[in-house]
Amino acid sequence: MKRTTNQIFQIIAGLFLFFVFYSCEKNISVDIPESEEKVVIEGSIDLNDYPIVFLTKNLPYFGVIDSSMIYNLIIQDATVIVSDGNVYDTLMKTFDINYFPPLFYKGSIIKGEVGKTYYLTVKVLGKTFTSVTTIPQPIPLDSTWFKVEPHQDSLGYLWAKFTDPPGTGNYYRLFTKRLTKDKIFVPIFGSIYDDKFFNGQQFQFSMMRGSSSINSTTVDPEFGFYKIGDTVIVKACSVDKATYDFWRTAEGEMYSSGNPFMTPSQIITNIEGGGLGVWSGYGVYTDTVICK
Amino acid sequence: MLKRITLFLSFLFLFTFSIIAQQQQKYTISGYVKDASTGEYMMGANVYMKETMKGTQTNQYGYFVLTTEKGSYTFITSFMGYTEYSEKVNLTQNLKKNITLQEKVITKKEIVITGEKENNNTASTDMGKVQMEVEKIKTLPAFLGEVDIMKTIQLTPGVQSAGEGNSSFYVRGGGPDQNLILLDEAVVYNASHLFGFFSVFNADAVKNIELTKAGMPANYGGRLASVLDISMKEGNNQKYNVDGGIGVISSRLTVQGPIKKDTSSFIISGRRTYIDLLIKPFVKKTSAFKGTGYYFYDLNTKVNYRLSDKDRIFLSGYFGRDIFSLNQKDLSFKNSISWGNATTSFRWNHVFAPKLFLNTSLIFSDYKFEMGATQSEYDIKLYSGVRDYNAKLDFSYFPNTRHKVKFGMNYIYHIFTPNNATAKTSGVDLDLGKEVKLYCNDAALYINDEWDVTDRIKINGGLRYTCFQFTGPFERYILNYSNQVIDSVYYKKFENIKTYNHVEPRLSIRYGINELSSIKASFTQNYQYIHLASVTAISLPTDIWMPSTNIVEPQFGTQYSLGYFRNYRKNMWETSVEVYYKDMKNQIEFKEGSLPEDNIKNNTDNNLTFGRGWSYGSEFFINKRTGKWTGWIGYTLSYTKRKFPEINKGVEYWAKYDRRHDVSVILSYEFNDHWTFSAIWVYATGNAMTLPISRYIINGTIVNEYGPKNSYRMPAYHRADISATYTGKKHKNYQSSWNFSIYNVYNRYNPYYIYFQTTGSILDYHIETQAKQVSLFPILPSVTWNFKF
Repeated sequence: MKRTTNQIFQIIAGLFLFFVFYSCEKNISVDIPESEEKVVIEGSIDLNDYPIVFLTKNLPYFGVIDSSMIYNLIIQDATVIVSDGNVYDTLMKTFDINYFPPLFYKGSIIKGEVGKTYYLTVKVLGKTFTSVTTIPQPIPLDSTWFKVEPHQDSLGYLWAKFTDPPGTGNYYRLFTKRLTKDKIFVPIFGSIYDDKFFNGQQFQFSMMRGSSSINSTTVDPEFGFYKIGDTVIVKACSVDKATYDFWRTAEGEMYSSGNPFMTPSQIITNIEGGGLGVWSGYGVYTDTVICK
Repeated sequence: MLKRITLFLSFLFLFTFSIIAQQQQKYTISGYVKDASTGEYMMGANVYMKETMKGTQTNQYGYFVLTTEKGSYTFITSFMGYTEYSEKVNLTQNLKKNITLQEKVITKKEIVITGEKENNNTASTDMGKVQMEVEKIKTLPAFLGEVDIMKTIQLTPGVQSAGEGNSSFYVRGGGPDQNLILLDEAVVYNASHLFGFFSVFNADAVKNIELTKAGMPANYGGRLASVLDISMKEGNNQKYNVDGGIGVISSRLTVQGPIKKDTSSFIISGRRTYIDLLIKPFVKKTSAFKGTGYYFYDLNTKVNYRLSDKDRIFLSGYFGRDIFSLNQKDLSFKNSISWGNATTSFRWNHVFAPKLFLNTSLIFSDYKFEMGATQSEYDIKLYSGVRDYNAKLDFSYFPNTRHKVKFGMNYIYHIFTPNNATAKTSGVDLDLGKEVKLYCNDAALYINDEWDVTDRIKINGGLRYTCFQFTGPFERYILNYSNQVIDSVYYKKFENIKTYNHVEPRLSIRYGINELSSIKASFTQNYQYIHLASVTAISLPTDIWMPSTNIVEPQFGTQYSLGYFRNYRKNMWETSVEVYYKDMKNQIEFKEGSLPEDNIKNNTDNNLTFGRGWSYGSEFFINKRTGKWTGWIGYTLSYTKRKFPEINKGVEYWAKYDRRHDVSVILSYEFNDHWTFSAIWVYATGNAMTLPISRYIINGTIVNEYGPKNSYRMPAYHRADISATYTGKKHKNYQSSWNFSIYNVYNRYNPYYIYFQTTGSILDYHIETQAKQVSLFPILPSVTWNFKF
């Protein structure tokens, strides 16, 4: 649904360009006021798993950013505490090259439970940032399968049948991971949903594979698709409203950034204390699809 | 409320009293003025008595009434470019005169702004008023040879273009929805084709254009900023005429003629583009645009019939569509978009007595936007629009030469269809909510008097009473604190949900310092009950028209304007300076971060947020009206701000169309009877825009953090165009002309938009960002051939 709306806007943009196919483009320099340094928090707690929190600083807007600058963005000297109201878990620094940034904070005491509320406290650079999230009840997918797209040889989308429980206010986020090809779960293209459009209904939908970074320079011949032979784990999560708002606006920004037809809008954060980013709880349901 | 009604009544009383007080032995000359060769009735012709210099102008339908003391006079009728009509009259009784004016043999296409009495600039109470004649606009440079009256309007001070690729205009800091655009009295909701590259008005079918940006008289209402009143030609009632033109991207054809000579006539005028056909051969098979087609067309028709000396009827219609289609087999993707206006007006002019003229109108107006898209299993349809049924009674009463009174009433039934969508996946309907339509009653009563108090002082005052009612059937969705829909309330058919009542005072005063100069001041208040909510940063046909509801309060505007007007060298030069301040309450915007899909299964107005706007500025204008060289220079200095509690953290910000400096220079030189040369130069401060100030990494992807809203300025816009028009010899039955235009002569790359391109990836530990400016049109020559037989 969201994908279609997005496409509509891309078409309109395309239509414009069609008429100005000889429009001219040139590099310009833009004076942007210096922005203050901010802390970016990307934290999550999955059902039956320990919380993990990535901490980075923001980047200046222009110029070339190389590896040393990127390493400098990673905040290494923070105190990160997650609590469920009773138990406190101080997250430990962990290194895993499969993630970006490869250095992050991971818990070892608290594991996510359905219906519980989790409090995050981050102390860094003399400031304190806080946030709250909950893990909603996971909702299972009725069935999942793979289907080759017409005009494609062996590439296609994943499909799922789903029944939304009655009552509005259910929000979902979907990830997939191709065994051997992906090292981590990657959100699908247009990963965030609100049941406003399908409240209480049973329906089927397709999943277009997201890429781990849309700014990647290497061209992926399987872009957007899954391939015959892939074994894919689908991770369908229930999330709360704040998580929905963050990812809705963040994905809006990721897909529409630079599109002149969109009004730029700030990503809605749930971090208190002047930080950027999100703290989200995921009610996880997983399923495995063998593409054939 | 009571206080306002009392005000209204005392105004009526005063006005009646002043008329009675002036009853003396007076007689009236009344009648119509028309063009001898076409039979078209002429608006704005001057009618006066040479001895007293007392006179008037014909109204929109070519009708005039002149009341003066008993006596002998030289009765004069004149119109720029026509031979003056002069007759000795002995006024001992009421007279009826229908006058025909002959066009001067050598057409001097001297001036562009015309149709005024020689000193109308200083003598009338009109402020911020622009009248244009289409024949004159046609000699100016035109973009791709398409004569565009909307673009010419934007060359006058105080009227700003929104930039290339945007035909909507901004008047004195008001938004594009604050302009009332009328075509033969029917409201045109979207005045542009192709996302604003061309306007919907086919210049061949248009007779007159009048723009009012200050001191709006009480017979107009419903918008804060301006009225653009366009009248269609009536059709030649003397002989058959065919004229047309062949241009680079489109062709036009107009046929007109008498149905019954002197009594009735018709005109039909059509236009269609052929960009799609021209471009097709150049689109590569592998191109993303393969299977893409686009065209627009429009059709104007009008029939008029003179039943008697006292009655005339007119029936006019407009129909236009933009059609875009895309069919990509490889991606199994199909899409079609169409949008456009349809209007019909039926009008009846009746002269009750020479002093009392009535026009009755029944008007239908419809704007539609439809889009359908299919991709593999998905199928989506989106549509929106506005439909109006409108009835109007407009009386003109001319008690004596000192008063011109207009009064009347207006009722409109609006049906709004904000974004509605239906979607299917694998044949199953997705629930996108019920079809939403909004129903409104919109009524107005007005009275307006143009009063010559003394020879020096003129007052144009009026009151307009408006009543707007939002009625059922309607389903209101109730949101909780975090904007989730939790409940809904249902209103029955015709159930009154919300009513607004307001009185709008209008006042303009002119004080003549001497023959050549005058000071004018105006104060107007307007309410606007319908709004255009724009999801995107520029105007697109996807923008949604919304009525005032129980959530959206009407926009309320107050404007103060002051001007000094002076003519030089026997009115050859007109100059003016005007200053204004404008306050606009209840302006609307979408909430920050709202996306088009938020309107689905919700009420659009639940996603809106409200604030205040204000603007002030000054306009300088120098116009040379006659001679071989004609043209004008307009300069506007203006400031426009907005303040919304929920936008930009509640801090005031520059409006998107805040324009510090705006300059237009128009020059026209008539070399001889065949050749006319013209040039245009425009300069405008860049648009305000929001820029990213820093970026950060989320999920391995770089996202932007934006700076304060509209705190950055794009580079300035400037451009020069030139044109040469060659008018061929006038043959007995045939005449043709060529227009050669060059758009953007010095090939300036004006910013259309700015975007940022990021290359590299965070996973590769290398990222580079570059700002890029996209410009639309480089230097573009064009040729148009026009013919007439």
